[in-house]
Amino acid sequence: MKASSDFPSINAKEADGLKPEGTPYKILIVDDSIFVKKQLSQILQSEQFDIIETAGDGEEAVEKYKEFYPNVDLVTMDITMPKMDGITALEKIMEFDKNAKVIMISALGKQELVKKSLLLGAKNYIVKPLDRKKVLERIVMVLKRT
Amino acid sequence: MRVEYINPFVESAVQILKETVSEDVKRGQLSLRSSIASMLGVVVIVGLAGQVSGRVIIDMDRQTALNIASRMNNEKLTEFDELTCATLTELANMITGKSVTKLHELGFQFDLTPPALLTGEKLQISDSKVETLVVPLELPEGKIEINVGIKEN
Ligand SMILES: [Mg+2]
Repeated sequence: MKASSDFPSINAKEADGLKPEGTPYKILIVDDSIFVKKQLSQILQSEQFDIIETAGDGEEAVEKYKEFYPNVDLVTMDITMPKMDGITALEKIMEFDKNAKVIMISALGKQELVKKSLLLGAKNYIVKPLDRKKVLERIVMVLKRT
Repeated sequence: MRVEYINPFVESAVQILKETVSEDVKRGQLSLRSSIASMLGVVVIVGLAGQVSGRVIIDMDRQTALNIASRMNNEKLTEFDELTCATLTELANMITGKSVTKLHELGFQFDLTPPALLTGEKLQISDSKVETLVVPLELPEGKIEINVGIKEN
């Protein structure tokens, strides 16, 4: 009789945060709330995503994106932030890199802004409250769609 | 103030609290608040402006606030640091955002200001121009009062 470890582990699912070749996807988290930053980081890190950096406003987001480019696979972008909002930051990131993958993080009641961001090139959006399943589903969907 | 304004806020608060804090949320009796009112100690205020103006105040005592923030973070929080405050303002954002969506669907147009969090032993709110309705919500974490004062422009 074979020990279970001799079988390929068909049940052990690959972590969502790893590329097919095994290196982690690199994520930039943009949000002015440290609660949301922490929540997103915890969800993503539990699936082995690499949080390369977080930014607290749009200006910082654009700066960091340029700094890390081309080593950023995806950006999560809050909408309401001080200094520069997420829509403007999205616009600037898309100008700089038309293939950028940006997912908007929105509270309910901002449908118009979400629509606008999708027209500007955001790949998807997630409405708060954030839960693990919803966050991973949307992010994986965007990363796997090339 | 028309009572129909308060329901979307209370329903949204119940739904968001169930999703993020505890399944066990009990809705108490609606009451009218006098123009000068003492608050429980931790208040998050969100202003409304547009077709109507006014404010929504989410009020709770200090321990309840810490219990709720702890639940939302899956981690015991014991002081009012940046994380606790960010968690409570985010809670208010979610509740008011959801309420506004419901009110937009009913045809009311207005915007929200970002939440402001105040804490203090003897906080009082005084406003003689806007009638305020209050609904208490009971959770295992403690009691939360949802105050809604709206006037049509
Ligand atoms: Mg924000």
